[in-house]
Amino acid sequence: MNWLDKQTENITRNVAKTSSRRGFLGGLGSVIAGGSLLPLLPVARARATEQPGPPEVDPGDPATCDYWRNCAIDGYLCSCCGGTINSCPPGTEMSTITWIGTCRNPGDDKDYIISYNDCCGKTSCGNCFCNRNEGDRPTYRPHTSNDYNWCLGTESTAYHCTVNLILGVAIK
Amino acid sequence: MKYLKQITIMFKKLFQLVLFLSICHNASADLPNDTAGKVETLPVPYPDDWVIVHDIAFDHMSIGRFMVMDINGGDIKDFFKGSFNGGFISAFTQALKKPEMYVLEHYYDRGTRGNRTDVLTIYDKATLEPVDEIILDDPRLKRAEILVSKFVISLIDDERFLLFYSFTPGTFVTVIDLEKREVVNGVPLPTCAGIYPTGKRGFSSLCGNGSMVSFQLDEDGQVTGQDKIEPFFDVDEDALFERPAIIGGTGYFPSFHGDVQEIDLSGGAARLGEKWSLLNEEDKSQGWRPGGAWLAATDSTGRLYVMMHENGEEGSHDYPGSEIWVFDTAGKTRVNRIPLTLPAIAFDITMGDAPKIVTTNIEMKLEVYDARSGEHVDTIADFYHNWPLLVYASQ
Repeated sequence: MNWLDKQTENITRNVAKTSSRRGFLGGLGSVIAGGSLLPLLPVARARATEQPGPPEVDPGDPATCDYWRNCAIDGYLCSCCGGTINSCPPGTEMSTITWIGTCRNPGDDKDYIISYNDCCGKTSCGNCFCNRNEGDRPTYRPHTSNDYNWCLGTESTAYHCTVNLILGVAIK
Repeated sequence: MKYLKQITIMFKKLFQLVLFLSICHNASADLPNDTAGKVETLPVPYPDDWVIVHDIAFDHMSIGRFMVMDINGGDIKDFFKGSFNGGFISAFTQALKKPEMYVLEHYYDRGTRGNRTDVLTIYDKATLEPVDEIILDDPRLKRAEILVSKFVISLIDDERFLLFYSFTPGTFVTVIDLEKREVVNGVPLPTCAGIYPTGKRGFSSLCGNGSMVSFQLDEDGQVTGQDKIEPFFDVDEDALFERPAIIGGTGYFPSFHGDVQEIDLSGGAARLGEKWSLLNEEDKSQGWRPGGAWLAATDSTGRLYVMMHENGEEGSHDYPGSEIWVFDTAGKTRVNRIPLTLPAIAFDITMGDAPKIVTTNIEMKLEVYDARSGEHVDTIADFYHNWPLLVYASQ
């Protein structure tokens, strides 16, 4: 299934409310505005450590575009590529420089900060493409833009798929 | 005497047989031998109805390609004119005054791994051969790989300098002197992106806090002046698309919610112009918004074309458009609504007196519309492609 089919599907998707994330992102933007060095990007410290929680608090199938953590993703779901929601497929390298979104978890009704880490070094996975853009902004605000290839700081910029990692609960 | 007559008849029949065989032989004469090594070339400048389509090859990014196509219909032998490569979501621009096209790309010596080589490859429009290249080996200035943007690369100063956006994630604009065929500068940017030619030898970029910066360069590509428009839009509430149409030195930047911000780029620094709405009250009530991978363009008369979708909401800014709206920029009024036969994700408009809209629809086929009447003219499909995402009118 190609990207545009998915995009068309997404037209009907119910978009999560964004009022709280705007406040958070505005604050984050002011922290890193003017700074383009790697250490200034909080998302650079993202690491895959957590597994999806039990269904009652982490509902949905991570291998589907509708899964709540995928609210700002633009790429192939690593869960369909030999990886998981938070681990890369064998033989790839996870980029630690990422864009972020803020997604509402319907399991506990909290907004979570999600880091979208690209897995890199092999040609595109091609499975389970998902393009959702909630909170996505143009390329002049890179940390919330999913139009970049975020295989940065990796041995190869070849994009394979994307995982999404919880960085914490968004502070309202 | 009797035998003589018989011999004469026999010779006569033999002559007729030879004549018949001779005629038959001439009718099936051998085809001439072909000459090996013949390669076609293209007319330069390209005709008005030719476009260059970027197949970004999202499923195999290491080698994308650009296809030169005639949109005047027919079958594949009529519309497919040739192609050239671009590695890893390359960026493309074309010269007006020289028969050159530029592809910003990189490659690894083992496909997706190994040593990386960044290069600006210069293609000849007639032969589609790479005629020169500039190696880009400064690690600070690695290019941004952005899926859909025509403004990550721009020509300024009468096409002497080529600028491209670098993102590592440090942000720079790299300056290449095309006469010297070398990098002459890397201009540090704050958190900004986009390269919009400004004035005689400058550029402007939109920034993450809703501001815009402008730089002017000297004849050596060094910064001589810098200016700034203080924050003038709210990125969270109603961001400007970084994909404007440039018409007569003014950038028309649509916003997510349906305004358009004019920015005068003709002087030494960008100057804020008027802001007006693409929507009337009925449009607003129906949730019409601009959107798509490439959503704004102009024609030879300076009209503004914007791709629109209905029932817009947060996150819908990349949705395919179901209509293209046409605006008179002087009167700031809509003069036409063009319904699309299939929703589209990107479009451009050919130059000349009979401009045509060329869209990439959601089935990854190209659709051709008469830009004046809005009439659907043709569908171009059935050619090998994966992701013919961006359309560039030939210059």
